[in-house]
Amino acid sequence: MRFPTYKLTVSALPRVYITGVGVISSIGLGKRDYFAALAEGKSGITPVESFDPSGLGRTYAGEVKHFRARDHLTANEARRTGRCSAMTLAAARMAIEDAGIGPDALKGPRTAVVLGTTMGEAQILESLDHSWIKSGPAGIKRALLPKYGSTLLPIHVARAIGAEGMVLTLPAACAAGNYAIGFAMDLIRAGRADIVITGASEIIQELQFSGFVRLGAVAQNRCQPFDLNRQGLIVGEGAGLLVVESEASVVRRGAQPQAEIRGYGLSCDAYHITRPREDAAGSILAMRDAITRSGITPDDVDFVNAHGTGTKANDLAEAKVMKDVFGDRRVPISSVKSMIGHCMGASSALEAIACVMTIEQGIYPPTIGYETPDPDCDIAIVANTAQHGPSDVILNNSLAFGGYNAVTCFAKPGKLPPIAA
Amino acid sequence: MMAPVALATQPQHPIESFDAARYPDARLAEVVGFDPTKYLGDKGLRTLDRLTKLLVVAARLAMHDAGFKKDGAYVSSSPERVGICCSNAYGSLEAITELDRVAKLEDARYINPSKFPNTVANSASGYVSIWEDLRALNVSVSDGNCGGLDAAACADVYLDTGRADAVLIGGGEALSEALYLAFHKLGALDERSSCLGEGAALLALEPMEAAKARGATICAQLVGYGTAFVAPESESLIHASAEAMERAITFAIADAGLAAGAIDVVASGVSGLARFDECEMKAIDAVLGTSVAVAAPKAILGETLGAGGAMGIAAALAWLDGAPPAMLLRGTAPRDVRTVLVTSMGFYGNASAVIVRR
Repeated sequence: MRFPTYKLTVSALPRVYITGVGVISSIGLGKRDYFAALAEGKSGITPVESFDPSGLGRTYAGEVKHFRARDHLTANEARRTGRCSAMTLAAARMAIEDAGIGPDALKGPRTAVVLGTTMGEAQILESLDHSWIKSGPAGIKRALLPKYGSTLLPIHVARAIGAEGMVLTLPAACAAGNYAIGFAMDLIRAGRADIVITGASEIIQELQFSGFVRLGAVAQNRCQPFDLNRQGLIVGEGAGLLVVESEASVVRRGAQPQAEIRGYGLSCDAYHITRPREDAAGSILAMRDAITRSGITPDDVDFVNAHGTGTKANDLAEAKVMKDVFGDRRVPISSVKSMIGHCMGASSALEAIACVMTIEQGIYPPTIGYETPDPDCDIAIVANTAQHGPSDVILNNSLAFGGYNAVTCFAKPGKLPPIAA
Repeated sequence: MMAPVALATQPQHPIESFDAARYPDARLAEVVGFDPTKYLGDKGLRTLDRLTKLLVVAARLAMHDAGFKKDGAYVSSSPERVGICCSNAYGSLEAITELDRVAKLEDARYINPSKFPNTVANSASGYVSIWEDLRALNVSVSDGNCGGLDAAACADVYLDTGRADAVLIGGGEALSEALYLAFHKLGALDERSSCLGEGAALLALEPMEAAKARGATICAQLVGYGTAFVAPESESLIHASAEAMERAITFAIADAGLAAGAIDVVASGVSGLARFDECEMKAIDAVLGTSVAVAAPKAILGETLGAGGAMGIAAALAWLDGAPPAMLLRGTAPRDVRTVLVTSMGFYGNASAVIVRR
């Protein structure tokens, strides 16, 4: 295919900005409530209500209790969508409102929608399966079928806002949000879109909850990343959507960018379907790649949002990444999964939004439940209470199952020089 | 590429991917006699589902055919510089429905943890990276029927930004009882000409200079891509849009810097679903005129969904290599095919197009 023209004509990569964000989370709807709760160290981890998990010996999750689709969607939209699409669409509307974009600016082929998820409408499939198991093929409800499929998430959003460019879902396990945000940046830099609605969403569902429990990965009732006595992860859910725009579009409509997406790094462990490489080689490669591509050095990084799932395998590997990349420099790092749980495909998108808010407010959200330091994780954890600090450049880690590593880099607008092409 | 070798309709070819005894009229194009041990040995296959096995075999064939590997080992490039960008529409329904069944009929406590990873949409390409040692990047694409072509566009961006020296592009889809029932219930298999298929096709994509430098045999060049979406109005959101397809083709031609007349033959996504086929043909007529030759690889392969676009590109490569385009719906292809347009219609108002040149 033709090389994007920027390579041939400009000396610097075009800048790409985040201009709006929308959040559906277990600790609040909308970015203000979400980040206020994160900064307070509030936990969204509560007993599961959407199904009965008692037989599994694990009953807590970061479940979103206060989302009502009809508060954000029309009756027709609510009827057509499952819970995952409904959260996605609601968060997209919040992000668009936050960006202050009028409806006309979004219409047409220059707006794309690129989203991440791991399972999409898992509850719809479960419901189809249960009726099949109970009543055989005749029991399968025809009307439910078109609601299934992760393909649909961006379709609902694009339909609602009149976007006519690329509609794409990038399932990348629990790094899906970062993959989507990164590709959104690429599309704009390559000149294939002016505005991309991006981010990720995920819902809690019985099969997936049970699967994590059966893997022995789930903690009793709290997630304690980097703590010596960690018990594992807590499953979470939610949607984090972002409006990503070209510099030209931002200037054209006089918008106020909230953060610059500097770049991102990718790698694949090619090692094990659920465990990271013990030497963290893949994750190290992804973080170094993110730093190089963002036109910065490790010394520029003010704060790292950890993948921080609270499993031993993750925490030890992530600590190795920090040591390898930053050496003796103790860069503050924190995991919001201690508060909202592991929102799987949605996690890195929700965490990217936390990064955007950190850039705005200079507050590092805490890792709550941190009690006993793990000597193998001797890194600068923001323990239990939020800290104030410089927030010009932030990295967002996602080091997912299947060895899907993606690290994004966000910066305060106007703080860094352009990146040489 | 793992493609159906025959249009498997019972009883000539009993369905192997699931127990289809109760669906005697099922029209399925199955990869008959698929034996992954022939390519992968017999170790480590127990927890892999059919989709994963199809994709791993396709990847192994592609890595060797492209000359990156010989006898299973890298001889060109390195694991850190080769990635995969793989489309799949519905994930491993086989794995998800079986685990749902275990949870419902036995107990969720009995779910096999080693099969749980198969339930996430990117699991199959995750296994491909492990089996073939692809470490540069691993990107799964889910965009229904358009995914196979969209994966090529994604990989183009990744190559262009230097994230890899080469990327395996394409997709896979596996037949299962759940997939058959879903399409059957939706009425998508009612039309006599429509047929559900399966398979996996992966192609090694790399920058021209790099391919030349390592002395690779270059099969073809991807020169243009276009995609478009026109909002569905129907309650179910299922929507055939001629307008979206027309735009996708127009964008692809402009992207390639070609004139419409340069297209020798179209590897269409025509699959036997009248509403979608009519819209696709209307769009082709509008941009390329009514005399361009149009072929329908899906008449042989069936509707392979997430793999469909990649199967279309694979067909195009055969034609560029001198094979006469089969299953022509109309027109005659020139003896010397130089440029092929590959098209895919999504089910929800989206459409994508890719142009392949010799």
